[in-house]
Amino acid sequence: MKHLPKHLRPRWRYLAVGLEAWPDADLSRRTFQRALWYSAGNLLGDPGSADADLSLFDFSFSEGEGEALVRARHGHVEAARAAIACISDVDGAPVRVTVRGISGTVRACEERYMGRGSGNSVRRDIAFAGSDRPAVVRGDAADVETDAGRVGATPLDFE
Amino acid sequence: MYEAVHAHPEGEATVARFARTAAEQGYDGIVVRTREAEFDADAIREEYGVDVAAGVEIRADGPGSAGGAVGNFRPDFTVVTLRGGDDALNRFAVESDRVDVLSRPMSGRGEFNHVLAKAAAEHGTRVEFDFGPVLRSTGGDRVRALSDLRKLREIVDHYDAPFVVSANARSHLQLRAPRELRAVGEAIGFSSEAVAAGLAEWDAIVGTNRRRLSEEFIGPGVKRGRYEEER
Repeated sequence: MKHLPKHLRPRWRYLAVGLEAWPDADLSRRTFQRALWYSAGNLLGDPGSADADLSLFDFSFSEGEGEALVRARHGHVEAARAAIACISDVDGAPVRVTVRGISGTVRACEERYMGRGSGNSVRRDIAFAGSDRPAVVRGDAADVETDAGRVGATPLDFE
Repeated sequence: MYEAVHAHPEGEATVARFARTAAEQGYDGIVVRTREAEFDADAIREEYGVDVAAGVEIRADGPGSAGGAVGNFRPDFTVVTLRGGDDALNRFAVESDRVDVLSRPMSGRGEFNHVLAKAAAEHGTRVEFDFGPVLRSTGGDRVRALSDLRKLREIVDHYDAPFVVSANARSHLQLRAPRELRAVGEAIGFSSEAVAAGLAEWDAIVGTNRRRLSEEFIGPGVKRGRYEEER
């Protein structure tokens, strides 16, 4: 079919989303996309989801950290932000989502807000709450295994 | 804007980790609701540029034990919140001048009405809008939480009772940035400004109580300072 004239084509906004989870979380593009759609469906309903028309453009995730590029229709960015904020877990794994910024083009969004990983994570024992415990340390964040479950910490807690 | 959090050992992140995350999300500070949490506020401020206020969230069986707990903790904690969710506790919290925040008034069997709203306005007890279930629950639980929030909002609005907003995070993964909470608030019937005001109200509590707990403060309107030499 012939392309729509320019003034009738949808205008898009691209949201850069930072992701964080426990180090053993296994997030994939597919599961995150499903979580995004469910979240939009549940918060905004079918009409609202159709208006925001969210789609996942880019996704990367490894070792408890990642980022995603979500496309939303211009004028529905706040609804998109709300739907994204309501993603609390993906396939049972708790995640933190933070919208880092919004741009009008994929390229501007990538250049300004993406590619901020804090590097590789290291497995080592740290002294936490009175004894040595296994932890995954990534930049200035450390996820510690304790008897009572996992605890998020930083070097201030063990150095 | 501040956010009030449940830290380790009650929650799954230390105060420092909360502070690191809150700084990334654009908060000015955090209020720690966990009495047992250990932290070094000065080190955290230096490292992450985020203010940390010590607080306590009192969970009591009834007004009697709640009163004792408030008396015990008030001198040592900047922010005293009382977990509601029971009619007698809700009533006690809004009628007490020494309680800063009534948290989760609608959880459990708790109810809220015009009498409590008026008392909250009179005694300056902030009523908490808990966004936790909106962000993290699904299905019927979420619908109930949303309808409770709507009811609470209508009553609080009408009587101009003071309020705070919080995501009630129990781990750094549950924190949401102020802009995100404002967007969620708009989606569920709050105005973006109201959510921002609810987050900023924590700052006001921290500021007022720090002044009150400082040595210069003697009583409302009375403080130790330099006397006037001439008129």
